[in-house]
Amino acid sequence: MIEVAHLTRRYGSATAVDDLSFQVAKGEVVGFLGPNGAGKTTTMRILAGYLPATRAERLVVAGHDVLRDSMEVRKAIGYLPESVPLYPELRVEEMMRFQGRLHRMSRQDLRTRIGEVLERVGVLDRRKQLVGTLSRGLKQRVGLAVALLPNPEVLILDEPTSGLDPIQRGQVRKLITELSSEHTVLLSSHILAEIESMAPRVIIIHEGQKVADGSQAEIVQALGAGEAGGGGGHVLVEAAAPAEPEAMAKMIETLDGVETVSVGARVGIHHTFRVGGQGDLREDIGALAMTQGWALRELTWKRPTLEQIFTRLVIGDVTGSEEGDAAAPSSASASASAAGPAASISGASGLEISGESSPGEAEPLPLGTPGTAKSKTIYSLNPFDRGASRDLSKPVTVDPDPAAPIDLEGPGGDA
Amino acid sequence: MTGALVVARRELTGLFMAPFTWIVLLVVLLLNGLLFNTFLISSSGNVSATLEGSMTGLGFWVWMVFLPALLAMRLIAEESRNGTLEYLLTAPVGDFAVVFGKFLAATAFLGLVWTSALVYAGTLHWVGGAPDWPAVIGTWIGTLLVSGLFVSIGMLASTFTATPLLAAFLSMVACVLWLFLPWMVMRGLSYVLPFLADTGAKQELIAQKVTGVVASMDAVRHFQRSFQLGVLDTAEVVFFVTWTGLFLFLTARSLEARRWRG
Repeated sequence: MIEVAHLTRRYGSATAVDDLSFQVAKGEVVGFLGPNGAGKTTTMRILAGYLPATRAERLVVAGHDVLRDSMEVRKAIGYLPESVPLYPELRVEEMMRFQGRLHRMSRQDLRTRIGEVLERVGVLDRRKQLVGTLSRGLKQRVGLAVALLPNPEVLILDEPTSGLDPIQRGQVRKLITELSSEHTVLLSSHILAEIESMAPRVIIIHEGQKVADGSQAEIVQALGAGEAGGGGGHVLVEAAAPAEPEAMAKMIETLDGVETVSVGARVGIHHTFRVGGQGDLREDIGALAMTQGWALRELTWKRPTLEQIFTRLVIGDVTGSEEGDAAAPSSASASASAAGPAASISGASGLEISGESSPGEAEPLPLGTPGTAKSKTIYSLNPFDRGASRDLSKPVTVDPDPAAPIDLEGPGGDA
Repeated sequence: MTGALVVARRELTGLFMAPFTWIVLLVVLLLNGLLFNTFLISSSGNVSATLEGSMTGLGFWVWMVFLPALLAMRLIAEESRNGTLEYLLTAPVGDFAVVFGKFLAATAFLGLVWTSALVYAGTLHWVGGAPDWPAVIGTWIGTLLVSGLFVSIGMLASTFTATPLLAAFLSMVACVLWLFLPWMVMRGLSYVLPFLADTGAKQELIAQKVTGVVASMDAVRHFQRSFQLGVLDTAEVVFFVTWTGLFLFLTARSLEARRWRG
């Protein structure tokens, strides 16, 4: 339904969207996630035909080329910009009628459809009210109704829940979830909870580039493996035993599925371990503790949430805030990413392979040590982004960044 | 075209919903009526002189500069401020249809305002006067064309800024410049020509050429020598329509340029 290949958009010298590619199938609900200024709005505006792309290999919405067949695309989409533009001097019904006329709907059609759509978004009782006198939440609903009126195949909603109170937000969220059964929906937000509840598939973009793409479970699974161990999580073990902690760690390491074990601080007579590996290892570790006679005090499976992954992708923070020591690494990595922001995320797009390219540096260090924050750099080792998937006959636009060549000489150097 | 009409219809609805419009209408009609009354008294009942005074006098040209500017200032600047421009430019209508629709609405509204002159003429006719009907109707049509031209200038100014008042000011300056252009050029020429005499240039020839070019741009003269006399000269119609078309085209281009700037 939506196909975007190598989309780039610049504002003067600033690049808002940088070689972005993604596809949305019919009937899918996809959430755009990214901090403010990541390029979400620009991408949506380009798809809606409001802004032209600086460069794009393929830009197809609902089977029509956005650049060449703009009118057809505009007929097929319902676009709701973040500002919810409505004419304040019109009544709700008049606004709807205007939209219907712009879309060349017949009078008969219009009459039944307006009632239907207003009913659906729950503002039927406000249809005689002036748009300018509506509250923010109601305005948002009317905006949705306007976008829905021509029954578009594709809905593009830019921050549909921004500026709403939690109750209204819940209502709009519910509405969008309902809509997803009939329309292909592309929506954006910088609020994670929202995306998590509305969109089964998430595309995380940062500084105009795609950082991750997949279902939430997939993203958590694949990107959660960034630090010690795979499987998108680790098990925290706190146990007391007569043995030395190193010996205990060795024993844990012999278990099936365990990839890394790091010895943490000593709390009283208890040692703490952080065990990374595939899946839930608690039972195995528990059994081991029983046979060895260790006194277990804690056995927790910690999985990174989408929020932690998002934060890490964006600011380069390794651990979630729940570790309590997030402050130091986050500041350290922030300065690191400031030194070469283009380099550190430049190749970050292929989530599928990022897990494979990371184990090079899987040396278990005490977590939270300043400077060990393995930030977005991990994903820039993706060998495919700068090489195979790029059409080499086209000029490659690499930002004049001194760090970038190093990036190219890495595993992707064979390109 | 359908798109343009839909946009025009919305624009007119919006206009008549705004209290601003009614205040403008009130003030214009009141002052126009007072002027008409003054002309009628000062010409001691001369019907033709009165109508000519109220339809083509100085007061008329002052309105001509102010009203289109005030109407056109909000057409695009306000939409861009409200964000509704994004809505309109992603609707399935072309840029030019949007521009033309807005132009139609503003010009139609001005046409309505100038209809007051027809009402005056009708009243005079009714009380036994003998207004020169061809001249009255010709003037009304010419007025529409001039309104259209100035609205299109105002719209172009409106695309340059998101502040309606600034747009109005810009377009007023442009219109005044246009109206005074011939006078200013002649004035300038009279200073420059004596210096050229020393170089042996043919003063007469230069003066003639410049006068010819400037005269062809003189909107007031174009208006006076046809419409005001009740003559519908296609050459004059083409003059106004062409310039209007040019400014509308530039407005549409300017809107497109905004897309590129983002």
